[in-house]
Parts: sequence; C-alpha cells; structure tokens
Amino acid sequence: MSAQESTFGPLGPERLAAGEARRLGQRERQDTLAQRNAGLAVGDAVRVRIRRFDREGADEIQTFEVPCRKWMRVLDALNWIADNAAHDLAYRWFCGSKMCGTCAVRMNGREVLACWEAVEPDMTIEPLRNLPVIRDLVVDRAPFDEKVAALEPWIERPVTYPGFPEPLSHKEMKNASKALDCIGCMCCYSACPVIGLGDLTDFAGPAPLVQLGQTALDPRNDPAKVARSLARTGIFNCVSCYKCEEVCPASIPIVSRVIEPLKARAHALVPAMARHPRALRTIVAGRGRVDPGALILRLQGFWALRNLSRVLRLLLRGKINPLKTLLQRTTPASGAARRVLGREEEP
Amino acid sequence: MKFAYYPGCSARSTCAELNEATHQVAARLGLELVQLETATCTGARELRAIDPIGFHTLNIRILALAEREGLPLMTICNTCTLNLLDAEAAFVDEPHLADEVNARLAEEGLRYGGRTRISHFLWVLYEEIGMERLRQLVVRPLTGLTVAAFYGCHITRPPLRYGFVDSRNNVALERLAEVLGCRPIDYSGRTECCGFHTAAHDERIAIKLTGQHIKSAKANGAATMLTPCPLCHTVLDGFQREIERDMGERLDMPVLHLPQLVGLALGLAPAVLRLDRHMVATQAIARLLGT
Repeated sequence: MSAQESTFGPLGPERLAAGEARRLGQRERQDTLAQRNAGLAVGDAVRVRIRRFDREGADEIQTFEVPCRKWMRVLDALNWIADNAAHDLAYRWFCGSKMCGTCAVRMNGREVLACWEAVEPDMTIEPLRNLPVIRDLVVDRAPFDEKVAALEPWIERPVTYPGFPEPLSHKEMKNASKALDCIGCMCCYSACPVIGLGDLTDFAGPAPLVQLGQTALDPRNDPAKVARSLARTGIFNCVSCYKCEEVCPASIPIVSRVIEPLKARAHALVPAMARHPRALRTIVAGRGRVDPGALILRLQGFWALRNLSRVLRLLLRGKINPLKTLLQRTTPASGAARRVLGREEEP
Repeated sequence: MKFAYYPGCSARSTCAELNEATHQVAARLGLELVQLETATCTGARELRAIDPIGFHTLNIRILALAEREGLPLMTICNTCTLNLLDAEAAFVDEPHLADEVNARLAEEGLRYGGRTRISHFLWVLYEEIGMERLRQLVVRPLTGLTVAAFYGCHITRPPLRYGFVDSRNNVALERLAEVLGCRPIDYSGRTECCGFHTAAHDERIAIKLTGQHIKSAKANGAATMLTPCPLCHTVLDGFQREIERDMGERLDMPVLHLPQLVGLALGLAPAVLRLDRHMVATQAIARLLGT
C-alpha cells in the first residue's frame, strides 16, 4: 500500500508491534522532545503570534517573526520580541530554569513553561486560562493564592514534637514528597476542565490541591486539621482526566499521587464527602459489578426519577433494567468481589 | 487469535450494544474471545482512591484469570484499560504490594506471575489484525461518512502510561476510520474529557463539558462521533437530550462505539450491531451508507 496523505498524516506500517498502537501519532506528529527540538535550524524564522490583552480585556493577535538561534526557548523568543519589536509586551519570568514557576503560558493550546519549552516554527502564545488577565501574558494569581490560604496548607501537630530525629519513612512521605516538587506555575490550573467551568462546582482545582497535599499527606499533620481543610476542597468533583498531569513541568503525578491519596484521606476523615466512591464500593462488593441503576439510586434516591421522560427513554432503549437492579443482586463475580473487598460497608 | 475478553460493567449494562457488536465483529475478524465469567469490576475511578489494596487485588485478579487461560487480555473500555495497566505497573514496581495481592488471590487458588498482556480492542486492530488485512476485510467502505473521533481520557493520558508529550497527537482512531473509508474531521474535543466520572453524583459537569465537544464536532462537519469507551458513549449519547436542553439547541449527533464502525465496514447490518439501542437515532448513518 502506498503512503496515503490525510489531515492526520500518512498511514504508517501495516501491522504494529505490541505496545506501539497505544502511542500511534507520537512519531508521526513529532510528539517526542527530540523531534520537537530538531524542527528548526539556526536562522530560520519562528512565527510567533501573541494574544495581547489590555486592561479592559480586549484582545488581539499580533504576529512577529523571530530569528531562530541554537537551543531557542519560548522565553528567548519573547525576550527577542520585547527587545526588538514590542517594547511594551507584558510577560513574567524570573529564574529561567524551571524553578520559580512564573513564566507559564499557553503555546499552541498547551500549557508550558516559557523557560523550558523549545520554540516551534509556528507558535500561538496566550496567557493561562482560568485566571484573570492583567495585561498580555500576565495573569492575576490572587484567586489561586486566596484558595490556597483558605485550605490552611500547614501542619498542626496533635502531639508534642518528639524531638530529633523524627521517625519518618519514605513510604509515609511518598505522596507528600511528590506534591513538594510543585513550583506553583499554574499550568495544571489552566488545563483543568472543571476549573474551566467557573463556579459551577466547589472543586478547588489541581494546583491548590497539590499545595494542600504537601502538608495534608504528611503523617505528622493533625487529622482534625486535615479534615477541616479537605472539607473545603470539593475534591470528588475531579473528573480524573489527567490533563493536569500531562502539563505539569515538574512531572508530578497529580491525579494518582496527590488527588487520589487526598480522596482516600477524605474518605477516612470526612466520610460524608465520599458518598459516591463508597456507594460504588458497596455495589461492587455485593454484585461483583457496577449496576448503574443501583449506583444512581444509592446516590440520588428516588429523586433520580424526577425526569420521567428520560427514565422512560432509557427503559425503551434497554439502557436500564429495574428488574435486574432490584432483584438480581448477585452475578458470577459476586463471590470473588466479596472475598477481595469484604462485606458491604453499609446496608 | 484468541483473547481473554474483559467487557467491563458498562458494556454489560448501559452499553450492552457494545458487547454485542464486539462479539459480532470479533467473529468476522477471526478473533476468538474467551469470556472471564467471574471477572469483577476494575473499580472504576472510585475504588482506586478509597481502597488501593482492594483496587489492585481486583485488577490483578483479572490479569491472573487471563494468565490461567494462557491468553492476552482484550478490553473495550478506556477506564478499565487504564486501571489494569496501572495495577500491572504497580505489581511490577512494588514487590510488597505484589506479595500482598498474591496472598489474597491464593485464597481462591489464583496467583499472578506478571505475564498477561493488556490490549484495548483499538490496539488489537493495529497489532493483531493489521491495517492491510483490515482493508481487505472491508466489504462496504464507509465513503462519505465524516467521523469525529472522541478518544476520551484514559486511552491517551496520563503521559506516564502512554508517553505522549501532547495527547492530542494520538491519531489511532482517525487512521483507523480512514482505513474503513471514512473521512475523519479535526475538532477541538478529540482528546477532551466527557465528565463521566462525576456524573453519578452531579451530571452538570458532564453536560457542560460534553456539550462543547459535540458542538465542535458538528460545527466541523461530523456526521457521527466515534468513541472507544462506553463511559464516554454514555455521556455523548445518553446525556445528549439533557445537553441539548442545557445549550438550548438541537445537536442530533449519533455516536458510534468503535466496534460498530468497524462492523458497518465489514458489512454487518446496523441492527446486528445494535445501533437501534442508542439514545440518539442513528438512521442518518444507515441512510448515508445505503444500508
């Protein structure tokens, strides 16, 4: 078969080796760091479109051509523009070495640190989302700071300090230690789709949760204090999309090593928050599988029937089966689930 | 080619049409599927947060069941796939956890040795069937069908599992759609989140997020959406009327499960693939294809 061009690139090898299909597009769309860095030669023109905002919030895209130099970063392009083409361009940076977390922007729809991202031949640079823009690429971090402060991200000891050295194992600190890698750049906060929905929910968002995780996942912290903080996070409104993990320049596994361990703490310390996971666990422990009808009934009660036309449509298409939900409470997997998960936690 | 088959809970309930279509298509492709009758839920997103040991045991148990059959494991749900991949990785990385899980499995005479290969149906098409063979099997090229691929999250993120710098670079669904004769379209929702995992306690997130994705697919000319995940399907298809009410406009966007699209190209009738079981009518697709 000849290679066939399309929007999504030429077709690759006919049959892929085991494990290759799950990353199809990585090579073809220059998704590796090495390929991205090799995309430009010294002296090439880098086209930079910058979304510029004024104080009134009006925005326009301005386009610049920047001569590429060796190892050029997004920050170098911004510096070149500020020096040579737009002296009034507003952007933040300080350390230039992935430490201070001030230079995050969106490049071609993806959150990056300007100081740590290689330029691309054609870049659209925008300010982070989900925070108010002050001017051009500078956002106001105050809403984040206020959120973090409200979560009381510190340690309160329930017992007297036992003295040095304090017994503390790697295992006990393994999640807090990941959270402590955070540089506070707000990339994850900008990428989070739930935060993007504004005040629809009480979800605190990934960055504030990572800040909280630094102390709430520390075993020395007072459980009562941690419970108080967790109760303000809306953490069970995280949709587990992993967008935060994808953009984190510090490579923190935000979902699996911060949000999930915090959910576990919430389940233990503020049980009322964890109704959904507990209901699911109870159903799986009993039936071996999830019966969606049973889950909805447990979480919403007969309030679930409020939209009667929807219930009828679901019935008509065979999407729900009330008889199975109410009468067939075991499956061939029930025994195994009960053995593994123990008896149901609640009636 | 023989696989231990793990449909997951959704394909056995809300999305039973996915299970039926998978069996029909597998038969056409020469894939023999061995159902693991006592396989449990993988714990969705909820169990992994509140009961890590229970989560790992359930998942490793599924891998052990497949290993006992001496077969690789085929999944058809994104979240199940990631749960199994994550549990497998933890089993390899954390020997203490592996011992603990195996001690629990010993109660029913099971033991996991770390040999089960996990493959989503999408990957099976590329790695076991191959695109050349699939092209030969196409008897009804889906010419004229514009498809908006909706990956969902757990088949392309996190980077730790799949390796993408930018998960939008995944092209597996579009490439496949092209082989089947379709024209894949580009749109903003391709690798975005449907919001399923909070929908049981609050549907509003799913409704708001997914509304944007369907609207973008429609604006870019899609006749249908396509997803490899029954959980995404539940929101895209099952919540579409509520999404329309929220947006105040009609969308009428059919949403196909991956095996259904493959099945149509292989000549299977829409009724056999249970397109009639969707909440959003799929007749427009059948008409377009002249079936």
